[in-house]
Amino acid sequence: MERFIADLVGKFETGTISRRDFCEGVALAALVYAAGGAEANAAPPSGLKMLGINHVSYACPDYRKARDFYSSVLCMEKLKDDGKSRVNLAFGPAPGKGGAFIVARNAPANPPAPPRAVVDHVCYTLSNWNDARVNAALKAVGQNPTGRSGSVNVYDPFNVQVQIASAEGENPFI
Amino acid sequence: MQGFAATKLSEFEQGRISRRTLIETLTLAVTSICAADANAAQTAVPKGVKAALVNHVSYTCPNFKQAGDWYSKVFNLDQVGLKETEVTLPFGKKGEQPYNVAAKDVPLTFIICRTRDLNAPPANGAAPRPKPTAVINHIGYTVADFERNRVREQLKAMGVANLRDGGEYSLHMTDPFGYDVQISGLANNALTDV
Repeated sequence: MERFIADLVGKFETGTISRRDFCEGVALAALVYAAGGAEANAAPPSGLKMLGINHVSYACPDYRKARDFYSSVLCMEKLKDDGKSRVNLAFGPAPGKGGAFIVARNAPANPPAPPRAVVDHVCYTLSNWNDARVNAALKAVGQNPTGRSGSVNVYDPFNVQVQIASAEGENPFI
Repeated sequence: MQGFAATKLSEFEQGRISRRTLIETLTLAVTSICAADANAAQTAVPKGVKAALVNHVSYTCPNFKQAGDWYSKVFNLDQVGLKETEVTLPFGKKGEQPYNVAAKDVPLTFIICRTRDLNAPPANGAAPRPKPTAVINHIGYTVADFERNRVREQLKAMGVANLRDGGEYSLHMTDPFGYDVQISGLANNALTDV
């Protein structure tokens, strides 16, 4: 990207492009960058290419309590709330562009037999991490965060552990 | 963005910033645009915090190696950080960015496959883990270039169990421990999933 911008500056300096062309070129670069390269959405020759988590399916006694928790504590966007039994709680990139969501729903009356494995918690990354600010923001919404620098835990209304971390706090390559 | 570029260009023309600064500033602006909303909200929202992405999914099962091998095979994931009771599977290679995330402080999502007793008292004397009354009954994964029939055939060839269609855009399957796994493309999202 830096090379592209440098080329634009060079063309502007030599009069190859106008001021308007320069500004439009920068804006277009931003749009293309934000949309993601086409190659990022290409499957490998064999097998699957993972892009990310699509959604977390969450079944609980009262989806409204989960909705209110995740939308207020983690600022997730409420979408497709049917007002009765389920809602999508979106976060990250825009829906359809790599964004993820929690499907919070009321548990069925007769749930299937449980598997022999469990997802015991999900951890969410925050950008611009600051220990003091994160702890204060969580306390401001009634939470009691515990943990260490770069990583804290809270429990949602149904006692499911929710971990919140920075890139340094939880990183597969550190 | 056009207005910002015009402003910076004027500053450059007036000699207030160098050519180097102009290039660096515009590069940073362009590559940070995805994160701008999140960052603005982070500072504007006085209560709560804004989740940027799933950092990891903690998956506990009777045999973490078997689980790790299954997720590695199905999703083409490397295994890193092998320990006595867990292994980590990042969704990409070191140095890569998560899909459509520009912020440099948001790492690749990963799965931690673990074998542990969730009811065991914490070793550090902390309060015991409360018993949850909700369940994460499946995880949906987004894969590139998802085409259901082609992917179904690929998964069948891998011997994946209990393959079934999920709605209009996805497939469900079960992993070696009976856990429900859903896969889809970008078309399955918070605006289309009902």
